[in-house]
Amino acid sequence: MMGGTTRFTGVVSLAAVLVLACGGAAGGGTAATTTGEDLVIGAPMSLTGSQSKEGALARQGYDMWLQWINQQGGINVKGVKHRVQLKYEDDTSKADISAQLAQKLITEEKAQFLLGPYGSATTASDAVVAEKNSIPMVEGNGAAQAIFNQGYKYVFGVLSPANVYLSGVLDMAATLRPKPATVAMLAADDNFSQEVAKAVVDYAPSKGFQVVYSDKYPNGSTNLSGLVANAKARNPDIVLNSGHLQEAIAIHKAAKDLKLDAKLSAYSVGPSTPDFIVALGKDANYVFDGSQWTPQVKSTASFYLSSQDYVAAYKKQFNTQDDPDYHVAESTAACLALQKAIENAGSLKPDKVRDALAALNVSTFFGQIRFDSRGINTFKPMVVEQIQDGKHHTVWPANVADATPQYPTPSWSGR
Amino acid sequence: MQLFVQQVVLGLLIGGVYVAVAIGFSLVWGILNIVNLAHGALVIVGAYLTWLLFARARIDPFAALPIVAVALFAFGYALQRALINRVIRAPLFFTLLLTFGVNLMIVNALLVVFKSDFRSVTPSYSGSGFGVAGVQVPYIRLAALGVAVAVAAGVGGLLNRTRTGAAIQAVGADREAARLVGIDLRHVYALTFAVAAACAGVAGGLISTIQAITPTAGEPYTLQAFVVVVLGGLGRVGATVVGGLVFGLVETLGQTMVPGLGAGWANAIAFAILVLVLIVRPQGLMGRVA
Repeated sequence: MMGGTTRFTGVVSLAAVLVLACGGAAGGGTAATTTGEDLVIGAPMSLTGSQSKEGALARQGYDMWLQWINQQGGINVKGVKHRVQLKYEDDTSKADISAQLAQKLITEEKAQFLLGPYGSATTASDAVVAEKNSIPMVEGNGAAQAIFNQGYKYVFGVLSPANVYLSGVLDMAATLRPKPATVAMLAADDNFSQEVAKAVVDYAPSKGFQVVYSDKYPNGSTNLSGLVANAKARNPDIVLNSGHLQEAIAIHKAAKDLKLDAKLSAYSVGPSTPDFIVALGKDANYVFDGSQWTPQVKSTASFYLSSQDYVAAYKKQFNTQDDPDYHVAESTAACLALQKAIENAGSLKPDKVRDALAALNVSTFFGQIRFDSRGINTFKPMVVEQIQDGKHHTVWPANVADATPQYPTPSWSGR
Repeated sequence: MQLFVQQVVLGLLIGGVYVAVAIGFSLVWGILNIVNLAHGALVIVGAYLTWLLFARARIDPFAALPIVAVALFAFGYALQRALINRVIRAPLFFTLLLTFGVNLMIVNALLVVFKSDFRSVTPSYSGSGFGVAGVQVPYIRLAALGVAVAVAAGVGGLLNRTRTGAAIQAVGADREAARLVGIDLRHVYALTFAVAAACAGVAGGLISTIQAITPTAGEPYTLQAFVVVVLGGLGRVGATVVGGLVFGLVETLGQTMVPGLGAGWANAIAFAILVLVLIVRPQGLMGRVA
């Protein structure tokens, strides 16, 4: 009897809501909203494994948007609000497992859309799954152009591609006095890091730099002192690394061990995370990195939060004093792109949302989000950060910088 | 030439770390006949303990090593008695399965406690060292090599000079005969595992000073320990020392000394040498003929 009563009450209240909604729409002319079914979005993620730190940051970025959108009542599809369920699967930082989990999310968990995993290798293998199933995947953590050169139609990356990761550092270096002349490049052997490295080797001569050493090492290596010794033997002014946090720390420690006194050190991934500073202490000072985003980036957000509010919201939600690093921001940006595309499409149909993504052009706290014909965001510039006195500062380009580059880096014995 | 000497020095120094990692692994394999897939996880437990003592109590990482060793000894003893002893006579597959499971449990427990943040022990003297004719020798790595050799000598002394060591060796040689002469097998098993865990803890403490650690950073070390033990030969501490130093040298020189080949080939070179050793000297460089 109780069950019957409850159900009856439910039907009555639903009817009441419908009547009210219709009445509202007819009467006031404003778009009143109803609540539709939950929208299921899937995300394989590096929750464990070699990229678990970066994966945790990416997850924070997704969770920030998730909390916000559900506080708004969900994604608005033609007046019907769909609350979002975000389902994670731990891909253990491995590309093949990530692809299996992407398929599982689609077939078993009924994910209607995918958000990307962390890293280019996993993103590349998940992209195949998204494309095969015609499920739009928006990602913010795979910058290798190899992902976007396959002619995929359902894969979109909100971040700047790999080839521009360190070009900003070279642009900046060309303006510094005394001008550095030589470059040593150490790169991991994954597709993202190799693209970064190749772009540096191709671009450096046009800025007047000579690449005196370039070598690659296995992804995830911790014993890199041999390579650093090789680089030191060439006496480079600039030491660049395209790899990951673990390797950036290993290279920096080895550089100090071996007294490799470069005028400028810049690492593609690592220095932007709080861990780099915590692990290395004051040795982390003077290190540069190319960053997708920094809290100082000024852009007008047409929806969601401004950069300033984003930083505040991050600190509040995760109860931390750290600023969100770019891995967090680019992940939130991926969510924003998907949300806006669904709203623009006014539909949850994968092909409609796909078309809306292809046509998307919005301004967010992360910068402009707009995709080229391959699906990657080539419209947003990168910035250069430097760690100064244990804090991140944006130093390039000058119009968004909050500090000037500290250059040249003092020798190890002199600090 | 200067670069070559530098590379050799670096290879030997990192080899010291591999020695420290492999000693315990070799002991458990040789005596208990268990390939302990949780060894790398024990190494990282030691690394985190060292980091905790450094970050919270400002205890110097090298001064922390004895504390870490004792803690890991106790943990290893309990782990063996409670869990691993149950499969001690089971086929190899079961021991692999169990130690793999233990590995997962330790790694995930570390993930819960420490999250996946990267941590590193960076004392004030980190990165300082001395130079001889342009060849840099970092103090921390030199001390790590010294500690590794001391640990090896200690374990060697324990095995060869003490009654406990004789009992451990006896169990390794023939467990039925050892039981018949009154050796408490369960105690000796647990003791062996505990000593191995203590060695792993010390290795972890050394590693925390030279690289960044995460809960999952131990897995490559299990593999490296395996290679070092096969390379050197099972059953003798001296063999592990030789295996570790050779592996460190080969890895570092392979990374950097072969013109035209990138560091991507370092592993291939290291494993090619392993295969070569297995073909030419199946008992390992220093192993006894079975």
